[in-house]
Amino acid sequence: MFDDFLKLELSGEVISSLIVMGIIIILAIIVGIMARFQDPLKKPKGLLFLAELGVDFFDNFTKGMIGTKLSGFGGFIMAIAVYLFLSFIFGLTGLPSPMTNMAVPLSLGLLAFFGIHLVSLRFTKAKYFKRYIQPFPVFLPINMLSMWAPLLSLTLRLFGNALSGYVLMNIVYFALENLSEMIFGGLVSGGWGGIFIAPLIAPILHLYFDLFSAFIQTTIFISLTTIFIGQEIPDEDDALSSNIQLSREGGK
Amino acid sequence: MNILAAAIAIWGVIPSGAGEAWVCVHAIDGISRNPEAANTLRNNMILACALVETTAIYSLLVSILCIFLG
Repeated sequence: MFDDFLKLELSGEVISSLIVMGIIIILAIIVGIMARFQDPLKKPKGLLFLAELGVDFFDNFTKGMIGTKLSGFGGFIMAIAVYLFLSFIFGLTGLPSPMTNMAVPLSLGLLAFFGIHLVSLRFTKAKYFKRYIQPFPVFLPINMLSMWAPLLSLTLRLFGNALSGYVLMNIVYFALENLSEMIFGGLVSGGWGGIFIAPLIAPILHLYFDLFSAFIQTTIFISLTTIFIGQEIPDEDDALSSNIQLSREGGK
Repeated sequence: MNILAAAIAIWGVIPSGAGEAWVCVHAIDGISRNPEAANTLRNNMILACALVETTAIYSLLVSILCIFLG
């Protein structure tokens, strides 16, 4: 049994994912040590400054989207965002990007999904189960199906974006290599004729398919997650204003 | 047959393109009316464009899967 455990075969994407997690853990430890020995009266600089900017941004972001009723979501959102962005651009190193394995976006989607439903369960208590039979009990199967829509859309958005970028880049590399082989094949011997055109054109495409895509998808993922979570929290101000309106109408 | 399925699946990008054009038209409309809000509008436009693009990504994903796995 132990031998089987040692012979555990992991796919390349999972290994890249583990590398990304290792990078994040090391960064977090370094920032933690720096923050511990930092004089709070002095200005932070370097890595610590960046980390403080990030923490500040994500705290304000979640406060604006979710509201002040539920605090402490900044860390959750920041962890998701950093992991998502790093694993999206990890394809630039030449190793397989973790996002091109369905399991990685699915687990991120599951995190968001459980976040949404647990927050809803916490704030609406027993009324949570009422949403599945609204407006009539006949709608139960439809509601049960539509429950999975956010999970599917979050997962497939990430997976589709990463996979389409990966496949398109592979096609472009294949085409450029053949083109270069056709032009320079006679001049350079030994099969090295295919390396001349791709380095000139591919970086621009990488800029779009990896960096821009990663940034936009990260923004969208965290925006959607916080918006979905914020939707589940009953709005106190609305209830208050409707009460005031009711009392005014009653007064008349 | 796989190629035919992929070709049919990629038709899903048409409404997505129209939707993206719609987003851009309204953003530019807003910018021309209120040039001071250009920065906010541009950021929101890029975000909305990426959201609208999702359906196109779905159909691209389906057609890629049709070609390679079908």
